[in-house]
Amino acid sequence: MIDPAAVEVALPRTDVAGTAFRPAQSYWSESWERLRANRVGMAAGGLVLLMVAIAAAAPLLAAYVVHHNPFGIDLYATFSPPSGAHWLGTDEDGRDTLIRLVYGAQVTLTVAFLSVTVSLLVGGTVGLIAGFYGGWLDNVLMRFVDILLSIPAIYLLILLTILQPKIGPVQLSTSDPRSLAVIIAIVSWGGLSRLVRGEVLTIKNRDFMLAARSIGASDLRLVLRHLLPNVLAVMIVAASLNVGAIIITESILDFIGLGIQPPTASWGNMLTNAQTYFYHSVWLVVLPGALIFITVLAMNLFGNALRDAFDPRLKS
Amino acid sequence: MLATIPTLFGVTSISYFLIWVTAGDIVPGVEINPYIKQEDIDRIRHNLGLDQPFWLQYLNWLGLPNLAQQLHLIGGTWPKGILEGDFGRSLVDGSPVIDHIVERLPNTLELTTTAILIGVLLAIPLGVTGALRRGSKIDHALTAMSVAGVAVPSFWLALILVLVFSVQLRAWGLPALPSSGAYSPLVGFDPLDRLSHLVLPALVLSFGYLAIWSRFGRSSMLEVLSQDYVRTARAKGMSERRVVYIHALRNAVIPLVTLIGLELPALVSGGAVVEIVFGWPGIGRFALDRAFGHDYTAVMGIVTFAAILVVLGNLLADILYAILDPRVRYT
Amino acid sequence: MSEPLLEVQDLHTVFSTKEGQVKAVDGVSFELNAGETLGIVGESGCGKSMTALSIMRLQRPGRIVGGKVMFKGQDLTRVSEYEMREIRGREIAMIFQDPMTSLNPVYRVGWQVGEPTRLHNGWDARKAFSSAVSMLGRVGIPSAASRARDYPHQFSGGMRQRAMIAMGLTTTPHVLIADEPTTALDVTIQAQILDLLRDVNREFGTATILITHNLGVVAGMCQRLIVMYAGKIVEAGPTADVFAHPKHPYTWSLLRSIPRLDAETHEPLKPIEGLPPNLVDLPSGCAFHPRCAFRVEKCSRDVPALLRVGDTQQAACWVTQSGTELKGG
Repeated sequence: MIDPAAVEVALPRTDVAGTAFRPAQSYWSESWERLRANRVGMAAGGLVLLMVAIAAAAPLLAAYVVHHNPFGIDLYATFSPPSGAHWLGTDEDGRDTLIRLVYGAQVTLTVAFLSVTVSLLVGGTVGLIAGFYGGWLDNVLMRFVDILLSIPAIYLLILLTILQPKIGPVQLSTSDPRSLAVIIAIVSWGGLSRLVRGEVLTIKNRDFMLAARSIGASDLRLVLRHLLPNVLAVMIVAASLNVGAIIITESILDFIGLGIQPPTASWGNMLTNAQTYFYHSVWLVVLPGALIFITVLAMNLFGNALRDAFDPRLKS
Repeated sequence: MLATIPTLFGVTSISYFLIWVTAGDIVPGVEINPYIKQEDIDRIRHNLGLDQPFWLQYLNWLGLPNLAQQLHLIGGTWPKGILEGDFGRSLVDGSPVIDHIVERLPNTLELTTTAILIGVLLAIPLGVTGALRRGSKIDHALTAMSVAGVAVPSFWLALILVLVFSVQLRAWGLPALPSSGAYSPLVGFDPLDRLSHLVLPALVLSFGYLAIWSRFGRSSMLEVLSQDYVRTARAKGMSERRVVYIHALRNAVIPLVTLIGLELPALVSGGAVVEIVFGWPGIGRFALDRAFGHDYTAVMGIVTFAAILVVLGNLLADILYAILDPRVRYT
Repeated sequence: MSEPLLEVQDLHTVFSTKEGQVKAVDGVSFELNAGETLGIVGESGCGKSMTALSIMRLQRPGRIVGGKVMFKGQDLTRVSEYEMREIRGREIAMIFQDPMTSLNPVYRVGWQVGEPTRLHNGWDARKAFSSAVSMLGRVGIPSAASRARDYPHQFSGGMRQRAMIAMGLTTTPHVLIADEPTTALDVTIQAQILDLLRDVNREFGTATILITHNLGVVAGMCQRLIVMYAGKIVEAGPTADVFAHPKHPYTWSLLRSIPRLDAETHEPLKPIEGLPPNLVDLPSGCAFHPRCAFRVEKCSRDVPALLRVGDTQQAACWVTQSGTELKGG
């Protein structure tokens, strides 16, 4: 029997000049630090947070700051330019543009984040299961996803919005932001599931998974405790990059009249009649779209920053 | 490639399933005519075979010929029907959906192929320039434009461009670009007129592609330039121009082509939003018009058609990829 | 003694990293004579590859900041890029470590092997291709005529390396630089490639610089060798002499850390203590001193120069330069 105390383990000397040292750190705190160092990304994230805050405070703003509500029609003041009374002017019914934009933010951001969450839950779960179990389950699930992805999103959305399907007792109608979010999620979860599945396949075969299994870990434990944390980073990045796309999709639906209906304001439906605004008020054409652009840009920049933070190797 | 067959099967099944799940027993005309009598509704329903249980309807739809006749109106002619090119009939006027599609298909293709061409022709040089002058001001400018370009909503861009190039130019008395339609009905067939109508929509549509592809081309080129075989090429003593354009470019273009190939399936559907904004008489706008008219079968026919094209388009993209990359060919 | 074919004089190459400037090649000087095989040995990061790349002026993103590389009367560090391109691939050829990635995947092997002759000799496509085929045959690729029409991914690793060697030789260069040519290959294939290199050296008379971290490879191939550490040459001399009585503690330790048939039995292998140096923050004085079993006070203060120690060898070590023999524990 070898006496452990008697064995001299020759480790490399680390007290020698010229060797570098730093304390151990978890993946998450390292990533957070990298994220913090990315000033553009942090600024973008801050902007998004600011927008969320403003959107959430819409009623307060309406009552105490702007002193208008989004439905207040004033036919004597249609198409007015920015002024003291209406900081950003009014639309064709004399409604205050600024407060409509704020409420529009509420709608759009609600739909976007809710949709991404549902998309992530469904797509992530499907991807995890398909990737982890493989075999016929994987084939069936991915075949289904392929089919879903083969149908062009716009058309599928048009179809869904006019059909207004029922899921169980719940009637989905696109004029309701939450339903709209679910409908958009139905169309977009497929891409996420493929992404997650791919990542799962990569990680599944790593040695640490085999090691965990060999000490008797159950499937559920393997998935939740070992697989999921490693896939989580990819999921978060994909989700945040998706938010921008969903905002645009939702805006398009509103714009063409299949989404949120007037008089409820949304950035998209504020542009529905933009062709008629050209001769009256350029502001009405520029502002809603500019807000969409800024929000999507900020979200994309933040998503890129997240991706760089989680996996700096991907930086070119 | 064999996998496309079950995919096609699934695609068309989903369309049918969706219809059934939501509107299985809708009867056309009910909304149009509020005075319609219940017995008439029942009679129509019976004639259309809508009062049969779901499983029977589906089986019919799968191709049992006799009963399939009764379901003709709700696009129940799959698969035999679709193989013959029958995508159902419009609920509004009973005309075959396929006729409408065929009539508008050239317009849509005109728009999307032009946009893709513009995208490719500009993205490759922009991407290569960005890669070769990495870190320079030009590179930063190009990258910033790419990042911004992805965030711009296409319909808003369309509106702004129309505002500038149609409305403003006209206001200043300059020749302006038309803001809608594919051609001026009064002029007849005039290539220059068609071209002037094509400019704005194609530019708007290509913008999104350009933003993504130029960035991708740049990163692909950078990756290729750092490969060992590029170092080998330099060690053989060839000019940098030869290294870039003969050895590097061909490899860098391959992933880009894959990406572009992903758009081939969307040739029919990708332009839908632009079509709508510009009033372009294509399939996308047709789908929307019909959607507003609650012409479910027409919409479903279009969706099915588009989906089939997507699947076929994927096949085409695979073939293209095999031609370009010998590694795929010989394995 | 005739003029050396290639003479590197006090070469300095640096590159900048986030942590600071790295002196990849820090005052390297050596000669290469016509027809001989010179080995450059050292661990990863010691500067051996950078030296070779600097000779070829392929050191980017590094910069050559000092010294000369004399070849046929010209200083290669000073010639124009155009002139350098004439030399690359035609007079001095270089082959690289990983044959898997060193050949362009989208062009046929024969076309790539024929490229140097198309570029430098001005041959047309057909002549270059048939010359490539015959060269592929000479490096031991069977059915060369049909294999030349294949793509790199259809070749095995060993065959790809042979193709690389063929590619380097088509213009019958004066110098062939082989950077770790066998490291990425299976052991059995390694031996074949080394045999091939030896044959090529004999048959074509090309002077060869063989870069490797494997002392065993050097032993069978090179008449002379250079040992590098942290960007400098620490020992140089005829291979047999260096192996028999190394004059630098680093070489000495290296030789004791690998299994040898001629070693005394029951002697344990001794790994070199410590870690490789941080190139941005080198130790003071002799870069090896923290790990050196023979160090004295002077070693941590002053950087030793490469001087003659013994009849045929040179070493950069205060201890051996003052006459001490390297022995013992």
